[in-house]
Amino acid sequence: MSTTKAGTAAADSKSFDIVATYNELLRSDPDITMPIAAIEALVHVLTHCPSSTISETLDLLEKSTAHLKRSIPNPIGLSAGTDLFQRYLITTLQRPGQLGPAGDFKAIRTHLLSNGRLFIRRAKESRQKIAAFGRGFIRDGCTVLTNGGSRAVASLLQKAADEEGGPSAVRFRVIYVLSSMSKNIEEPSGEPEGMETVRALRAKGVPVATIPESAVAYALGKTDMIIVGAEGVVENGGIVSRMGTYQIGLLAKAIGKPFYVVAESHKFVRLFPLGQYDLPIEQHVVDFKSADDIAEEKKRKQQTFDVGNGDKPVELPLSDSVDFTPPHLISALITDSGVLTPSAVSEELIKIWF
Amino acid sequence: MPSTSLALTPGLGSFLKSLKTNPVETSIENLISLLKRRQIRHSRSCATATAYLLRHVVSVCKTSDPLKLIERVQTVGRRLVAAQPREMVVGNVVRRVLGLIRDEAEDDHDAEFALSEAGSESQPHTPRAFDDPSSSLPLDRDALSLRGDGAERQTSRPTLHSMFSLLSHPEAEFSPISTPGTQSPNGRMPPHGAGGKDVKAEVLEGIGEIIDELGQVDDQIASYALEHIHSNEIILTHTSSTTVQKFLVKAATKRKFTVIHAESFPNNHEATHATVSGKSVNDEENLSTEAFQKPLIALGITVILIPDSAVFALMSRVNKVILGTHSVLANGGLVAAAGTRVIARAAKVHQTPVVVVSGVYKLSPVYPFDFESLIEYGDASKVLPYEDGDLVDQIDVQNPIYDYVPAELVDLYITNLGGHAPSYLYRIVSDHYRKEDISF
Repeated sequence: MSTTKAGTAAADSKSFDIVATYNELLRSDPDITMPIAAIEALVHVLTHCPSSTISETLDLLEKSTAHLKRSIPNPIGLSAGTDLFQRYLITTLQRPGQLGPAGDFKAIRTHLLSNGRLFIRRAKESRQKIAAFGRGFIRDGCTVLTNGGSRAVASLLQKAADEEGGPSAVRFRVIYVLSSMSKNIEEPSGEPEGMETVRALRAKGVPVATIPESAVAYALGKTDMIIVGAEGVVENGGIVSRMGTYQIGLLAKAIGKPFYVVAESHKFVRLFPLGQYDLPIEQHVVDFKSADDIAEEKKRKQQTFDVGNGDKPVELPLSDSVDFTPPHLISALITDSGVLTPSAVSEELIKIWF
Repeated sequence: MPSTSLALTPGLGSFLKSLKTNPVETSIENLISLLKRRQIRHSRSCATATAYLLRHVVSVCKTSDPLKLIERVQTVGRRLVAAQPREMVVGNVVRRVLGLIRDEAEDDHDAEFALSEAGSESQPHTPRAFDDPSSSLPLDRDALSLRGDGAERQTSRPTLHSMFSLLSHPEAEFSPISTPGTQSPNGRMPPHGAGGKDVKAEVLEGIGEIIDELGQVDDQIASYALEHIHSNEIILTHTSSTTVQKFLVKAATKRKFTVIHAESFPNNHEATHATVSGKSVNDEENLSTEAFQKPLIALGITVILIPDSAVFALMSRVNKVILGTHSVLANGGLVAAAGTRVIARAAKVHQTPVVVVSGVYKLSPVYPFDFESLIEYGDASKVLPYEDGDLVDQIDVQNPIYDYVPAELVDLYITNLGGHAPSYLYRIVSDHYRKEDISF
């Protein structure tokens, strides 16, 4: 009986489009991170599909997660969220207490369903917490180099800037590395990611220099520290982040400047990449082509344009490509659970998985 | 300065003596001024003085309510740390004591909890149980298992708190630990009579253990010496650190090796010369060194005293560098006597292993946001005596006492708990200090 039930639940989840929900969540709130959007999407799934048993719920979650991961070109960030959600559910169910096996399964369900907003709020609060921890890193008269559009970095820098004029005034400068690749392909002249933060900082009186990615090595001599954001923090303490972060890390190491990563702890993901090309992402950054290949591709493009996009695996657009920064390049991770060394990440992960 | 210590030079010895006779407030002021005037220096002396003072503070404290005790220790601790922020061991000892009080308060609370649970089967499971996976064991009511449980919780709780905190039930956010005594189901407050008094006694005992640890730390570290020093090795060391000396002496009882000793001019060279030659120093800080006044040379070890400038030249012949330290920071970096960084760098260039020996009490949870602020500057006349008056006018003389050595220059830390990689130190930090005490 339960199998048929699970079957209908799966069918229900098909009718409810988790991918669209996920994308909508990301679009509607610019402050939301990928893991949180994934958790939210799963909460929505649970609301739409009434399930009363534990295994049914877990099965439904697993299916929806797999579907979501398949449909999103870069599932690293969101898998941190879905894993956390699943682990939380399982660990809570195994524990005694009101929400445990002895208690009512409905209790935990209602807790999860009714507190979606709360999770988002906590996620945003964790950014504030990080800013408070990281505040100590920005000293008077220092120059910070950063890149990308990380909201955690932005909030950290803005927090430091806010204190200007206050009793603990810090005067610091920012070198912002702007990506040459525009985020929007249809609008190549659109402003690069991060300009919003640049404007906000400038409005607060912080001198900001914007440089292209090619000028990083040149600018590092004037820099005291590098602070970057991350899309996911992997098991060995390395980070998956916007394309270009790895080279900044390498340069920082070569020049001997500290390289800090700002990331919320819900971005810790159970992944152990062995190198750049070991990420579970389809991205064709290095794409060898001859003249024939280009001609063929053109032809195929026209065909698919007529037929419409088939069931091909989704590729990551070049502007959204990511790279992997190995842990030995990272001085410290500034997270909402404190300033961690890269090796402390695995421990946090082990704690929730085993 | 109280009259009792007038006869003595102010320092650790006189302070400990005066502690017995003076009222607490005077003792606190006394230690603050000693720290400020740098009449107590060296990590261990500072740690010992702080531990004794805190024991005194706790023992005369009228209350036995853990919350009030914590508050009292915090206020005293803040004043001591403010007096000499660069002596990080002072803060470390205060944090250890705070952790002790919290542990005892928790145990007390747990026992209380176990009692009430045993009393009524229908006891609703409160956030504590929710917080703590280990309490799912049916042994919950067994007092013995609860004790172990408490110890386990100490390590497991913070992390559980950290990653799941995003999703957890709102109630679970109140850690019962941070508010001992306030969260009692069915209104049973821990009785502050008999049980409370016990807390104080346990805390005093715990501080006694810390003091014992401070006394034994060098011997414990030395017990690892034979694993690290092999026959016919050439060891390079620096300064007159007691920990390093004991370490080497221990190895020298069994093995023959060569020690190259950099003299660490200008701040420590006299003590270093004395250490090498075995002439006793009339420094009360080194009272404990009497036990091994027999220097390395007496044990048949070849000791070569070199100026600091020769470190790089000799490094290619050295098998191992063993360094003492002033304090160790949470990221694996360390603050040690000036000249240490040069040695560590030279060792790195020659791929020579660098071993740092340090008691756990020197391990500080402080993250070096700005390590320049950790470095203390000393008496410039040691570099350029004031007799050279005309030069003094024209040049700026600086004498930094400490160096910051980044974690990547160190290969191994040997503490009284064993050998650790620098990247593992965060774990020891989180085992020894409570999260809530890191910035008390």
